[in-house]
Parts: sequence; structure tokens; C-alpha cells
Amino acid sequence: MPFDDFENELRDSLKREPAPASLKRKVMEARQNRAQLHLTRTSARQRSRMIWFERIAASLVLAGVAGGAVVGHYAIERRKGEEAKQQVFTALRVTNHAFEVMNEQLQRRDKSSQ
Amino acid sequence: MTGELNREFEQLRDFERRDFERLFDEHQSMVFSLALRMTGDRGLAEEIAQDVFMELDRNLTKIESAQHAIFWLRRVTMSRSTDALRRRRVRGTDLWVEINESHGVRELESGSPLADRIEALLATLPEAQRAAIILRYQEDLTPEEIASTLGAPLATVKSQLQRGLKLLRAKAESQLKEYIRAV
Repeated sequence: MPFDDFENELRDSLKREPAPASLKRKVMEARQNRAQLHLTRTSARQRSRMIWFERIAASLVLAGVAGGAVVGHYAIERRKGEEAKQQVFTALRVTNHAFEVMNEQLQRRDKSSQ
Repeated sequence: MTGELNREFEQLRDFERRDFERLFDEHQSMVFSLALRMTGDRGLAEEIAQDVFMELDRNLTKIESAQHAIFWLRRVTMSRSTDALRRRRVRGTDLWVEINESHGVRELESGSPLADRIEALLATLPEAQRAAIILRYQEDLTPEEIASTLGAPLATVKSQLQRGLKLLRAKAESQLKEYIRAV
């Protein structure tokens, strides 16, 4: 075999070979497994995220209820204070009126005694 | 709403699957042959080809065109083959025993006896020269394309091609005398 045409011989020797038939099956299986794994991991992540959302939402609701209770309690106490104040004022007015009546009677008695 | 999104997602996956399968069918022979000639081992070449296509699957959205896909596949295959050869060197003869037992070292089985002998001689070339020769004569790439594929300077690739070819020719002339005489 003359080697004048060595490069052509080399080109002929290095023709592409067909891949084994098992390669496609292996690749497709590996691809399917990875997609399945990805799906499982994604749904696990989504579940975990949902749990966190639920926890945060529950915390917010609890904080709202506690805050509302505190505000409600404060309003009730304030209203009670206002009522007590009004009662004190009423009592003071009654007392004042009684003093005025007594004062008038005393003045009348003084005039009559003079 | 969620059902619609799921349907769109499934359709997208279906498109991707068909794209991937088309690319696989078109280029499996190229990828396998490159890996086979770089490593000289059918089992290892099949593993490399599998790795390369799984990597392609992960990077499918980054592929811009058919030409880009071919360039990407050649580049990754050469790189993976070099890595496999490096691992084999590190692990030494134990791996050779393992490969022989599990896969069987490649037998000469392709075309003419001379082509098989030349291919066997190719396996004895230094790795860088072998890579350049394979890309030049299997893939018919220009030295510029080889340089781009291997990420090496053009001058280096030209030198590797020249030296590889010279060495291969010398080996062929000394070792294939009987064949020459027979012809």
C-alpha cells in the first residue's frame, strides 16, 4: 500500500462509527429519572414553602387577634373610667346643690334672727 | 389556572424532549466516535457519550442553533474524554484491568484491516496530537475550527497536526510493512 495518499487513507479509517443501540435507551432512561427526581424535589420544595406560608399566616392571625384583644381591653377600661368620672361629677353637683340649699337656709335663719 | 399552567409546562417539556431526541439521533454517532477514538475503549466511550448528552439536556436552553449544538457537543466530548484519560492515568493499571473486565478493550472491527491497523496506531499517539488528528480527519475540521473546539492556540494546533501526522506516517511505514508487501 503506497502511503502517498496517506491522509485519504486516514480519513477513510476515521469514519464515524454508529453508536451502540443501548446508548439511546440509557440516555433516555437517565433523562426520565432526572426529570422525575426534579419533579419530586420541586414538589417537596413547594410543600415546604406552603408549610412556611401557613405558619406565617397563622402567626399573623394570632398577632392580629392578640392586638385586637389588647385594643378592645383598653377601650373598655377607658369607657369605665369615663363613666366613673361622670359619676363623680354628678355626685359633686348633688353635693354642691345641697350646700347651696343649706347656705340659703342659714342666710334666711340669720336674717330672721336679726 | 394551575391546570392550565401545568398543561403549558407539559407542552414545553414535550418540545424540549423532541428537540433533545432529534439532537441525540443526529449526533450520537459523532459523539460516540470521538470518545471512542480518544479513549480506545467502547464501554468508556459509551459512558462519556451518555454524560455528554445528559450535560446537553441540562444546557438545552443555552443552545442557540444547530451549528452551536455541534460545536458544543464536540467541545464537551473532547473535554470529557481528556478527563477520562486523566483519571485513567491517575488510577493506573488497576483501571485497565477493571475496563478489560467490565467493558472489554475495543476490538478492531470496523472497515478494512489496514484501516483498523491505522486506527490502532492512532491510539499510540500523544493525547493532544491524537485529538487534533481525530478532529481533522474524522470531523473534517479546519485547524482554526480545531483550535476553537479545543480552546488551544492556532499555532499549537497546526504544530500538533503536523507532528501527529508525521509520527503516524512513520509508525505506519515501519509497522505496516507486511501489509504493504502483501498488497
